[in-house]
Amino acid sequence: MFKNYIKIALRNLWKNRTFTVLNVVGLTAAFGVAILLAMYAVFQLSFDRFHEHGDALYMVYSEDSTPNGVEANISKSEPFAAALKDEVAGVEKITRYVSTGVLLSQEDKQFGMSTAYVDPDFFNMFSFPIIKGDKTNPIASESSVVMTELATKRIFGDEEPIGQTVSILRDEQQVPFTVTAIVKDSPNTSSMGFDIVLNFKSQNEHAYARTIGRWDMENHEVYMQLAESVQPKQFEKSTTDFTQLHYKNEIDNAKRDGFQPNTDGLYRQLKLLPLADVRFANFNQGPVTVSRTMPYLVLGISTLILFIACVNFINMSIAKSAQRLREIGMRKTLGANKKQLFFQFWGESILVFLISIGLGILLAVFLLPYFQTLFKTQASLATLLNPSLLLVLILSVLLITLIAGGYPALLMSRLGTLQSLKGKLDVNGKNHLRNSLMVLQFGIAILLISGTLVLWDQVEFMRTKDLGFNKDQVIAFPLNGQLNDQQAIELLRNTLQDKPNIVSVTASNNILGLGKDGSRSTSVLGFEHQGRGVETHMVVVDADYIETLDLNIIEGRSFRKNLASDSLSVIINEAMAKQLNEDDILASQIDLDDAVYSVVGVIKDFNFQELDQNIAPMTLFALPNWNLRNAYVKVSSQNLEQAYTDVKAAWNTIEPNAEFQGSFLNENIDRTLRHERTMITMIGSGSILAIILSCIGLFAMSLLIVAQRKKEIGVRKIVGASVSAITILLTKDFLKLVVIAFLIASPIAWWAMHNWLQNYAYRIELNIWMFLGAGGIAVVIAMLTIAVKTIKAATSNPVESLRTE
Amino acid sequence: MQNILVSLNEATRTVNSGSNKVTLLDNINFNVEEGEFISLMGPSGSGKSTLLNCIGMLDNFTGGGYTFLGEPVHSMKEKNRSKLYKEYIGFVFQAYHLIDELTVYENIETPLLYKNVKSSERKAMVADMLDRFNIVGKKDLFPIQLSGGQQQLVGIARALIGQPKLILADEPTGNLNSKQSEEIMELFAQLNKEGVTIIQATHSESNAAYGSRIINLLDGKIV
Ligand SMILES: Nc1ncnc2c1ncn2[C@@H]1O[C@H](COP(=O)(O)OP(=O)(O)O)[C@@H](O)[C@H]1O
Ligand SMILES: [Mg+2]
Repeated sequence: MFKNYIKIALRNLWKNRTFTVLNVVGLTAAFGVAILLAMYAVFQLSFDRFHEHGDALYMVYSEDSTPNGVEANISKSEPFAAALKDEVAGVEKITRYVSTGVLLSQEDKQFGMSTAYVDPDFFNMFSFPIIKGDKTNPIASESSVVMTELATKRIFGDEEPIGQTVSILRDEQQVPFTVTAIVKDSPNTSSMGFDIVLNFKSQNEHAYARTIGRWDMENHEVYMQLAESVQPKQFEKSTTDFTQLHYKNEIDNAKRDGFQPNTDGLYRQLKLLPLADVRFANFNQGPVTVSRTMPYLVLGISTLILFIACVNFINMSIAKSAQRLREIGMRKTLGANKKQLFFQFWGESILVFLISIGLGILLAVFLLPYFQTLFKTQASLATLLNPSLLLVLILSVLLITLIAGGYPALLMSRLGTLQSLKGKLDVNGKNHLRNSLMVLQFGIAILLISGTLVLWDQVEFMRTKDLGFNKDQVIAFPLNGQLNDQQAIELLRNTLQDKPNIVSVTASNNILGLGKDGSRSTSVLGFEHQGRGVETHMVVVDADYIETLDLNIIEGRSFRKNLASDSLSVIINEAMAKQLNEDDILASQIDLDDAVYSVVGVIKDFNFQELDQNIAPMTLFALPNWNLRNAYVKVSSQNLEQAYTDVKAAWNTIEPNAEFQGSFLNENIDRTLRHERTMITMIGSGSILAIILSCIGLFAMSLLIVAQRKKEIGVRKIVGASVSAITILLTKDFLKLVVIAFLIASPIAWWAMHNWLQNYAYRIELNIWMFLGAGGIAVVIAMLTIAVKTIKAATSNPVESLRTE
Repeated sequence: MQNILVSLNEATRTVNSGSNKVTLLDNINFNVEEGEFISLMGPSGSGKSTLLNCIGMLDNFTGGGYTFLGEPVHSMKEKNRSKLYKEYIGFVFQAYHLIDELTVYENIETPLLYKNVKSSERKAMVADMLDRFNIVGKKDLFPIQLSGGQQQLVGIARALIGQPKLILADEPTGNLNSKQSEEIMELFAQLNKEGVTIIQATHSESNAAYGSRIINLLDGKIV
């Protein structure tokens, strides 16, 4: 029996090869892409879930009341971690955490290493297994270093690493460290990426020694392992006394200044963020929000694409069943019962699905490398090879085949014997289903297309927006060499001074956009002004900062060439001026603990942060010998490439061992839009696939309709219908469906995109054309698809079409 | 006395066509004994096919009693009815109704598949049947590669393979020329001699003559 089914299935598939091919192609594309997208989403969702104690690990952050409302603060002070463990019950283990880059030397070789500075509990909390060396407490000493396998290979090759000495540049000195342990390379689903791990106390003076015992200097993150018996909410509540004790000043000031307390009525509250949520958390806009929208959106797109391909399959199967009526009737008279017929037709579907899934997997394997480069992801198909996930996948494939293959099979097996023998099929009811499914298909396609258009508009808007500084002519790069920052800048100035294509050179401790090295930092300063607490971003700059970036001074002056004479001057932006609220802003001063600074100038607001945030108050300082981190070089607008090469050459002569990681600021801005670009590419390719698949379905339907109405077309032509009249007759039913789809999808798309745009402080206005554009694209493509077959039918010789009847 | 195979008692079939109630079969009474060869005659539209379909359980009478081998078909559940039908009845159609995607061999084999006959047994039975109808050489051909007469032979072979007690043939020679018709009718006569009960519908006097009894229908009534 089974053999008989397979045989007849194969013969049927062969007989209807056009439709088989359309189905297999559509389903293969859908499965291939769905596998890749699902893989991507699962990969994203599985980040940081490999830690054995993961469920008990939390990042400790606080909700602080500030002049701008409640803000999340993940930076903690030096004494915080130890005090929390001592004073509040429920802290099983705790570690401070700083991630940064250091310059490591071994003999005459130098290596840039990403580094985690942590406390000894780190290795007991997180699952980064030590495979060699001291397994119990490898960073007990402040001169120990733990390395990953990969870093060990880079530094020592095949030499035995344990016990070796390396030196690390710290406060302009080479400090020796002994390798005490080798740790397994962290899985690629780890947010914490490092080459080496050092004791927290091994940091430089500025980051550690200076901050000892200071509750007001917050510069690192804190992670803790919660005792099993304690609930996170309960723990958060029990920290109230701790907060009251250690942050009394801050809380009193917040109350005095009338800041908004958080939802619990507190002015400062410690909170726990589950480790797995950290990657999906937004700390920039008020209280922390955790959103996994992106991976779920990707999963959603893959589901929609599969859905569209399955709709094609269902529609084609039902439409083709008319041609198999006689077979169905005959089998019934030969003794087949409903169940047997159902399994026969279902079996045929399963065959098509199995072939498509097989090809889809091959397609996914083939596309994987391109996918990985395009989306800069390390997700691989192995991501999906976990037993419970495989089970889910297999079940969903079964479910899809059960529904997509089973529904037409059910319809067919239910037909009456005599009715089907006579070849009559009551099709009215089924056309409703077909039409609704096609409306849904095109609705999805239109939704995705308009989403892509809006997204693209917003990204273009952000990319091309005038940010208030010169982003086209300025190259920025990290000062990542051995020299101290001031020396490096000095040398850079000297080297570049006479070059005609170099306009000016400066440096600052922040970066605009996102540099090639991918590191960023912000420092926010809080102080008292006229009896109120105010907050400002603090940016320390070198000479010519304002000139290099073409910032506009609207009041007062820029820093002098002789920067030392301005060490007690600050220049503020408009937002800061507004916050200070002085009648004569240039006569005002700000009083920090260590000194009093005079405001000498006000610059026009510029977007020093990303466009999802409003421009915050900012103050430029000209402090001497500060850690400046990034150089900025403005070049003349002719031949930017040559200028880039010159700057690179200059840096290579100054720091021969350091990599030049420079890029123009507009590239830096572009880099901050990576998330959005990924989304555009995902949704965009999803929408292209959706429209192609929908059109495959439409094409198949037009083939069938034309075949069914061949005689009618012939007769109409004989009685005088024109080609266009017939084309319209055949096309209008389908176009109607696309138009209905548009009417349904547009408001949904509008609503979704409106909500998404709320994430951006600077955003485009939605306009009707984006949606009409998407609808128009769908209509035109649909029309072209049907036109191929219908025009051919309409122009064919009517005598011929009647003869073949 | 012979066994009564089919017994119709006031059997009626009415359908609703729009708002009208149309009587297709009107109080039909007759018995068919095992071994009979009955010819149903009547003009086109007189209800022959309807009657055969109802006897063959492809369709139902809407009134009256229908007993098959002593079992009351009219009050039977669908499932039992199809069991009865699978076991005892074979159909031959005017339009042959072979399955286009299956070869001659496979077409003949299909009813055995639905009866769950074992593979080895199936092979033997189909081989026998091919032999008997002299179509061994055509067993791997598809229906469209055969002439009408040959297709009907396959149709009959398929009806016979399940060793039914009753063969219902609805104008089995309607699409054939006179020579082919004669061969098919000879075959029926032969089968009847071997003990198979046959009911055929036909308009042809000469075909009807092969039967042992003629029943005339007109407007759904026996006349
Ligand atoms: N389902 C039905 N609904 C209405 N009328 C029917 C139906 N089936 C058959 N008929 C009508 O019943 C009559 C008998 O048909 P049929 O049994 O096919 O006659 P025959 O086979 O003798 O030519 C015909 O007039 C036909 O149109
Ligand atoms: Mg008839």
